[in-house]
Amino acid sequence: MVRDGTLARAVLTSGVRLIVGYSVALVLGVPLGTALARSRMVKQSVGPVVLGLSSVPSICWLPLAILWFGLSEWAIQLVVVLGAALPVAVATESAVRHVPPGIERAARTMGARGARLMLTVTLPAALPGMLAGAKIGWTFALRSLMAGELLFVSGGLGQLLETGRDLGDTALVLAVVVVIVALGRASEVLLFGRIDREIARRWGVEAV
Amino acid sequence: MNVFVVAERRVGTGSPAEAWTAAVPSGRAGTAIALDGVSLRVGEGEVEILRDASLRVAAGELVCLLGPSGSGKSTILNLIAGLARPSSGRVLEGESPVVGPGPDRAVVFQDAALFPWLTLRGNVEFPLELQGFKAPARAHRSEQLLRMVHLWRFQDRYPHELSGGMRQRGAIARALATDPAVLLMDEPFAALDAQTREILQGEVERIWSVTGKTVVFVTHNVREAVRLADRIVLMGTRPGRILHEERIDLPRPRDANDERVAVLANALSKRIASEVEKVAREEADDAWVVPGAHRAGGPGRRLGGGV
Repeated sequence: MVRDGTLARAVLTSGVRLIVGYSVALVLGVPLGTALARSRMVKQSVGPVVLGLSSVPSICWLPLAILWFGLSEWAIQLVVVLGAALPVAVATESAVRHVPPGIERAARTMGARGARLMLTVTLPAALPGMLAGAKIGWTFALRSLMAGELLFVSGGLGQLLETGRDLGDTALVLAVVVVIVALGRASEVLLFGRIDREIARRWGVEAV
Repeated sequence: MNVFVVAERRVGTGSPAEAWTAAVPSGRAGTAIALDGVSLRVGEGEVEILRDASLRVAAGELVCLLGPSGSGKSTILNLIAGLARPSSGRVLEGESPVVGPGPDRAVVFQDAALFPWLTLRGNVEFPLELQGFKAPARAHRSEQLLRMVHLWRFQDRYPHELSGGMRQRGAIARALATDPAVLLMDEPFAALDAQTREILQGEVERIWSVTGKTVVFVTHNVREAVRLADRIVLMGTRPGRILHEERIDLPRPRDANDERVAVLANALSKRIASEVEKVAREEADDAWVVPGAHRAGGPGRRLGGGV
């Protein structure tokens, strides 16, 4: 499996999907969460929907995704993005709400307003709280992706698991599970671990 | 209100900061800040936070707003800063009405409010960046300011690595970065220990005399007010209002342990005792008796007297 490149191809396929889907989820989730925290109108109209949808396991979107997009990358990505964006949005909302009002007041006295205030003060101040959401979003993205890949022919790690089951190859199944665990752990150490340490260095506390 | 002759009040210090003053326009003549019959009411029940306050602060003057909690002293500061709008009356900076916060009126808050994700130097440069200063100009200016508050050596530290007093000095440097005409200080030393507090009071006096800024300093500490102020504005509570103004003509630089400071502070303490008593009564049950309250003020000041 390792020698003929099946594993490497599967890891690559799943990895690219994960990174693309997760990035899209961040790009959607952070502004959504910020809007939820800052606009009463958005909170009242979209808030219940976001909370409701975030309790839906994202794999439940797969049938709909397949109806819309067929058996394509788009279908898988829809599942991944929905799975990750909502927890990111919910955590961002809470993090932005908990930015100490004094920080923003101080920035306003220096003349910071609007988008500038949001980008240079509010979001950096909310970063420790947002990181918690980003981590949850990452694991949700990984789970959604594996579930999605299991359910239809896709070429990723999930499909490799399914192949193992079809062939009755327990060793293959377990090997893939080990690879998935290793992927999760590696992202934790290489990516979030660094951000965690940086935040601890600056804020002087262990980040959430 | 008479205009101050700013030059008389300059105290030479021989510090590196003096080179810096040359670049700073010295205190302009005239009124820096004026409040004209300003009231502030908030909420559904229209709670009156501040009633009919009128105040004039001359350019280059150091005015202390002194009063117990709930006397509206921080409210006045927020109104000048543009963080709050008056319900009635006018707040003027020079000739023009204050419509919002701006870098011409810098604020130092009680909790310093330094940004935790930036180094000390990043914090001082932040307002400069907002104003569009280029990197070399920012570096130059932040170095001058951090040297002035004796924190240059700590420029790369993050706020959590600094003591409370150092954070406040950093906040003062940050507030001065954009060369504001007015420096507003909202109980900046209230959370510090007594020794640090005294040192920083000396720093404020020095920085004020070197830079010629107009300073409005809010405190509930009588001795701090006497130590620092050209003029003390005494404030009362329920509703917050201005009671009385007192000019302090002691020579500078002043010493917190100077006997004259102590005598003036004691006299003022007695004056505001009845106001403090009001707050204590409202915040406690009926059995509360404020020790020494009987000494306070005239009969007209007694709450509920003769009812």
